[in-house]
Amino acid sequence: MPHYSSETQDASFRTAVRQLKAALGSVAHIQDAPGTIEQLSRSEEAPRTVAARSLEGPTLAARTVGGSYEPRFVAFLDGVQQSRVVTYIDGAPIVHGTAAAVVRERSDRRLRTWAHRIEHRLYAPKRHLPAAVWATLAPFAPTDSSAHDADEPAPSRHPLATLDRAMRMVQQHREDLEQRLAERWCVDGVGPVYIDGGISGSERVARARCAIGVVKSHRTLYAEGDGLTILFRLRQGQRSTLFAIEPSRRTPVASWYLRLRDATGRDPSFGLVRVEIAHDTPSELGERADEVSRWLLAEATPLALPDSRWDRMAYGIRDSEEFLRAIT
Amino acid sequence: MTSALGRVVATERRPNTPHEFHFWTALDSPVGIGTIVRVEGTHPVEGQLPQIYGIVVEGFSYTDLQSPLHDVLGHDGSPDSASLSPTERAEIRLYTAAVLRQLPEEPLQPVPMGRVFLATNDDVSVALRMDGYLKEGARTGIPIGIYRAGGTDAPIYLDADFLLGPEAAHLNITGVSGLATKTSAVEWLLQSIFTHFPPHKGSVAAVCFNVKGPDLCFLDKEGTIEKADRDLYEKLGVPAEPFQRVKYYAPYKADGLSINTLRSNEELSGNVHPLTWGLREVLQYAEVLLNKDDVDAKADALIDFIKERVLDQDFTDPKLARPHRVQSFADLEAWFKDVLRSLEKADDQTWRTHHVATIRKVRNRLSNISTRCAGLVTDAGTVSDLPFGSFEDRTVYVIDVAGLEEDAQDLIFARVVSRLREHLERRDLGVNHVVVFVDELNKYAPGDGPDTYVRKMLLDISERGRYLGLVLFGAQQFRSQVHRRVVGNAGTALFGRMDGDELATPGYAVLSLATRTKLATLEKGQLMVRHPHFTQPVFVRFPRPAVMRGRDGAERWPQASDVDFDHAILRTLRVLDPSISLQWVQDVIGIHEESDVVRARNHTLQTRPSDVKAFFRSQLPSLAPKAKVAPRPMSTAIRGTPFDDPYGEGR
Repeated sequence: MPHYSSETQDASFRTAVRQLKAALGSVAHIQDAPGTIEQLSRSEEAPRTVAARSLEGPTLAARTVGGSYEPRFVAFLDGVQQSRVVTYIDGAPIVHGTAAAVVRERSDRRLRTWAHRIEHRLYAPKRHLPAAVWATLAPFAPTDSSAHDADEPAPSRHPLATLDRAMRMVQQHREDLEQRLAERWCVDGVGPVYIDGGISGSERVARARCAIGVVKSHRTLYAEGDGLTILFRLRQGQRSTLFAIEPSRRTPVASWYLRLRDATGRDPSFGLVRVEIAHDTPSELGERADEVSRWLLAEATPLALPDSRWDRMAYGIRDSEEFLRAIT
Repeated sequence: MTSALGRVVATERRPNTPHEFHFWTALDSPVGIGTIVRVEGTHPVEGQLPQIYGIVVEGFSYTDLQSPLHDVLGHDGSPDSASLSPTERAEIRLYTAAVLRQLPEEPLQPVPMGRVFLATNDDVSVALRMDGYLKEGARTGIPIGIYRAGGTDAPIYLDADFLLGPEAAHLNITGVSGLATKTSAVEWLLQSIFTHFPPHKGSVAAVCFNVKGPDLCFLDKEGTIEKADRDLYEKLGVPAEPFQRVKYYAPYKADGLSINTLRSNEELSGNVHPLTWGLREVLQYAEVLLNKDDVDAKADALIDFIKERVLDQDFTDPKLARPHRVQSFADLEAWFKDVLRSLEKADDQTWRTHHVATIRKVRNRLSNISTRCAGLVTDAGTVSDLPFGSFEDRTVYVIDVAGLEEDAQDLIFARVVSRLREHLERRDLGVNHVVVFVDELNKYAPGDGPDTYVRKMLLDISERGRYLGLVLFGAQQFRSQVHRRVVGNAGTALFGRMDGDELATPGYAVLSLATRTKLATLEKGQLMVRHPHFTQPVFVRFPRPAVMRGRDGAERWPQASDVDFDHAILRTLRVLDPSISLQWVQDVIGIHEESDVVRARNHTLQTRPSDVKAFFRSQLPSLAPKAKVAPRPMSTAIRGTPFDDPYGEGR
């Protein structure tokens, strides 16, 4: 019985291919995938702007972060994912997904692994596969990539649509791993943890003072009208005023934008990150934002090059991703 | 169980082979160039988990930085701000090691993945194959130094069978001049050999040629060594003391009065002996001093004639004025004069098929020798030589040639080594093995230049000496300038700090760049060792020799100053009999010719009689006694001539 939800190397992609080939026999024509779906797929959510409730002043404004920049983060948390097509059966893709997350703890300026997790899953569209094939896949405990909520329409049988769904499931799996590790740090760790991405997905993390979420991508901008102008004009060392992120099915958090580097002559998002922290006592939020901003500005070196997101990425996050790439 | 200090890695671009592997370590691991490590494989081969021993030959360090410019950008061009970064970049320490040994030895496979450990003392022994010759009951190990890395202090042994024969022999040591590495290393190694030479291999002595300075002049005097060196001596099982038996030999100065050595202080003269040879001894090796231009076939024939028909025997020839018994250069000169005079008298050009020009040439060349080797060669023919036939075990015989001309040095070298070889062939030298230490080997056995007697002799020793027990320890600054067959036949090679230009020569290309760099920066007391059992060279540390340094000895026992004739004779006789006084000497030598006195002194020194005074006196030629003149008897008057004698005085 294949063992898929652990850190063992046995559940790797190549092992999955061998085992599936043995199970499916001539039904499946398995070829080497040219790459991960993440590398091949360019589908992203549509860019949008969203109005957000200001927590610091009436409207979004710029604030200069004063004081000296001091590095205070004790740990960095990040995750990676890889989705590969194992085979197609009557156009239905069977996808092998790997999700991994790590917390790298910094001690004496050197990073060491505090905890990490790797998990593998198989994704197959039950709805689009012959029953016999699904039955053959049963020992692999596949996740149904055609599953949907009752109030959602049935997913398309288009292979690309199925691939997209599988990839989002892998992504969700990754986020789950990240949240689990973040929760563990909030219980067992000591000191602030720099989390790559938002923190609202887990209530415990979203309410933890130690968790700082840093978002690098800006497909969604939480400003409109003049607020966008303020945002784009933020200079290095400046932040926006705080606003609330209140997703419907997630825990509310306080957030702001911070410019890490001089963006003169660059695109508007150069060196721009959005920070999320626990929605603490409102009167202390401003001070807290300044304090955390100083921590983030102190992480400007060493550069995270050659990563293309280096202007918005702390070296500790790059290190975490390199670690995960090495073990996955 | 010690913890692993590294892990083996291999990529397609940097694979492991049966002879080389790569591994990475933590940043603070005690690994460096020359460190010996052990790899433990994880998959059995022929039922045995492989163990691979290697020595680090190269090291690399790099981070995830793709361009130095990124570091500049990250720190705004300010090197100081680098220390303010909250995180250090991930850094790898990657090492390349050359395989010393694999177990099991067959099949020979590429080094597998596995953990890497620092070699322990036992590991070092296995890695260098010393376990084969350090077994109880069959030990032939000679300590050469300590291998030191990461807390491991392992003695390193050479195999006596491969250092002093018969399996292999000879040692060559290279190092820059002025650091006393070569001399110190040889002094230390000789002490080690004397201590650890296996009893079943017999006896061993050493002959050292002191070619420059006073470094070898105080081997029997205790030097100052530090505690760290004492600890090394203890670890290696060698007593930290000077040589117990040392004998010095040197020719006289040109005046024949004092010995030409830096060890001339009276307090040290007890074991200093003159080295003098006569005509026969020199003529045997005339070709050392006479090059091809000097000696053509005709001259060579005349020299052979002299050796076989004239030397040390009564020689007569009807054309010569008198019989000759040629035993010294003075006798030879007289013989030449007689031959040439006979030719002039007879107005002839040839004597016994030898042309007059050849005779003149040979006379000129041979008489030059006594001039060029004044002090070494005596006109009187007195021979004072090394004790061939009665060499003593664990004794160092130092021949001080530092004050001599090059020709005299060559002559001494050629004769001494030839005699050693002859005696070893006959097995009557007195010891079974002799180590001959020669410095400046590039001068005696150069790789280029004309073929000299000395070079031919060194080649012969290098190629055949090990079967006789005649072992060459050669030293030089530039190994590349020494004859290839001489260095090539040295089973063991030691390298101290090396000159950069020398390291750039092709002979060192087999060493990695890091190893060559280390060789260029070695400290005093460090060596790189190549030995037949060692698959790769090893770095060791050896203790400072426990003998007095040359300059310390020269300071403490300054050279004796030149004195007048009487004092010079007194000084040398007092070595044999301290009761001899200046007055006694002056009374005895009286009005004797100086040459007679010197001859008598030399005989006395050579014989070492129990009654020195009586013997010395007996060696002086007797002077004619003053005879009493008897009164002249009155002669009878001569009868006068007759008056009428026409021849008489009266007329």
